[in-house]
Amino acid sequence: MGGVAWTEEEDQLLKKCIERYGEGKWHRVPLLAGLNRCRKSCRLRWLNYLRPNIKRGSFAEDEVQLIIKLHKLLGNKWSLIAGRLPGRTANDVKNFWNCHLSKKLCARETEEECNQSAMNVETITPHPARSISMTGSTKQRTQDYHVAPNSLPAIKESSMSMPFNFFGVDQQGHDQLVKEERDIRVQEPAGGLFIGDLTTEDHRFGQFDEVNVLSRADEGCSKWDWDDLMLDMDLWTDSL
Amino acid sequence: MENSTQESHLRSDNSVTYESPYTVYAMAVSSTPSPTNLNHQSIALGSFLEDYNNRVDIIAFDPDTLSVKTHPTLSFYHPYPPTKLMFQPNRKSSSSSSDLLASSGEYLRLWEVRESSIEPLSVLNNSKTSEFCAPLTSFDWNDVEPKRIGTSSIDTTCTIWDIEKGVVETQLIAHDKEVYDIAWGEARVFASVSADGSVRIFDLRDKEHSTIIYESPQPDTPLLRLAWNKQDLKYMATIQMDSNKVVILDIRSPTMPVAELERHQASVNAITWAPQSSKHICSAGDDTQAFIWELPTVAGPNGIDPLCVYSAGSEINQLQWSAAQPDWIAIAFSNKMQLLKV
Repeated sequence: MGGVAWTEEEDQLLKKCIERYGEGKWHRVPLLAGLNRCRKSCRLRWLNYLRPNIKRGSFAEDEVQLIIKLHKLLGNKWSLIAGRLPGRTANDVKNFWNCHLSKKLCARETEEECNQSAMNVETITPHPARSISMTGSTKQRTQDYHVAPNSLPAIKESSMSMPFNFFGVDQQGHDQLVKEERDIRVQEPAGGLFIGDLTTEDHRFGQFDEVNVLSRADEGCSKWDWDDLMLDMDLWTDSL
Repeated sequence: MENSTQESHLRSDNSVTYESPYTVYAMAVSSTPSPTNLNHQSIALGSFLEDYNNRVDIIAFDPDTLSVKTHPTLSFYHPYPPTKLMFQPNRKSSSSSSDLLASSGEYLRLWEVRESSIEPLSVLNNSKTSEFCAPLTSFDWNDVEPKRIGTSSIDTTCTIWDIEKGVVETQLIAHDKEVYDIAWGEARVFASVSADGSVRIFDLRDKEHSTIIYESPQPDTPLLRLAWNKQDLKYMATIQMDSNKVVILDIRSPTMPVAELERHQASVNAITWAPQSSKHICSAGDDTQAFIWELPTVAGPNGIDPLCVYSAGSEINQLQWSAAQPDWIAIAFSNKMQLLKV
């Protein structure tokens, strides 16, 4: 930074002026104080050096800890950090950080990163999808779950007709399917739901095998493992 | 259990009360009898003090003499009120003379409950920074795979721990907002509820996907608690914040609840399925009442009425119905814990 250092006399003039007129209206201060300095310079001089409550000593241990914590949280927002350190100016905090802490912490962070990658903890975000009503249709899929046709829970017409909609998946594309299921929003191609082991002995669903082979080839997605879950769940309840 | 549809009040000689020096919130009933005395059942009670220092006391309940005994050394200090306490499920009583207790607060902690002392075993801390941690709202101990505990947190994540190794198995960003409860269905499947108002099911074999099986009708109304029927895994129950209804869900028919039990006159605070019957559920709330409901195959036109009701002295905050003592329901209200004979 260029510029001339403030002399004792200038400091005195500024101090007297602020004591007399208060802070604020900085654009008038140079005139009132009789200083040949710009208003910005006057304000900064007051805030960083001449204010009565500024703490001068080196930073205490708890202050240092607080600075580290706040910097982690807030970043380079010195005025915010200094706001939490009574008596310290933003300028002082910034200088302290850049001179002393920056190097130290850089080293520590890379060390922490090394440790963390060794810990190998992955945070995964599962993508939510709204499932389709499974009433009836799922149970019929699995050969292990023996369901007599008349013991199925009351199934509405729409869900019963669902399996047959899937025939349309291959020919017309999955968009067709989405449109048909007007009140059930599906994010994945619903054909994926019925991909899986369809080794059912029920001849009604024998056609399914064909459909699924084709679907699999087309979409190649087996991401949607809901059917696996249901498969296991049925087995579980069966074993009760 | 009576099968009449009329409400009946449980007789007062069929209840045992324990008065604690402080407000009680978290409560757990051991899955097996106490190692010291096979007639006794250990119950852990967590205090609810708005302070860093809280306590957990273990008391012994004797269903034969209808008494509750405390042991001055079976008590330990816990930082912050425990949000949930749970004994390890299905402990084989012959295996060891100590029981394991898990508690959630700002971290998941494991404690070894011995005959006359409690030793802290481990603190399971997954926070990446040493300064901040996200408090845990709840957790569930997998009873099929007892080394697995799932925790739910206000930082929208659910963390699955391998407590034998003391490491995180996986951490999932489960919801868009704070997760309030988590419940295991089977060894690798769990569900959770959140402030975002959804009930989601997760499968550890397919961590990239979750399934929303219910959302509160008013968007963004938090769901506070979730209970998965261990006798019939198709059914779950949940309660919405500030709601007097218990919502029963069939996971095969998502978005539409199978039943809404609406007989409480104030917010419901706790729900628990019966440990040995797939059709019964108990709920308790701010109207100081606890109801036992039987879910019929077909609901009547006026909704479902509870099978029995119990009125406590004040708002009931906690409910536990253990498989180890299926004839007794434990409730907690203000500073009292009460065991009610069913």
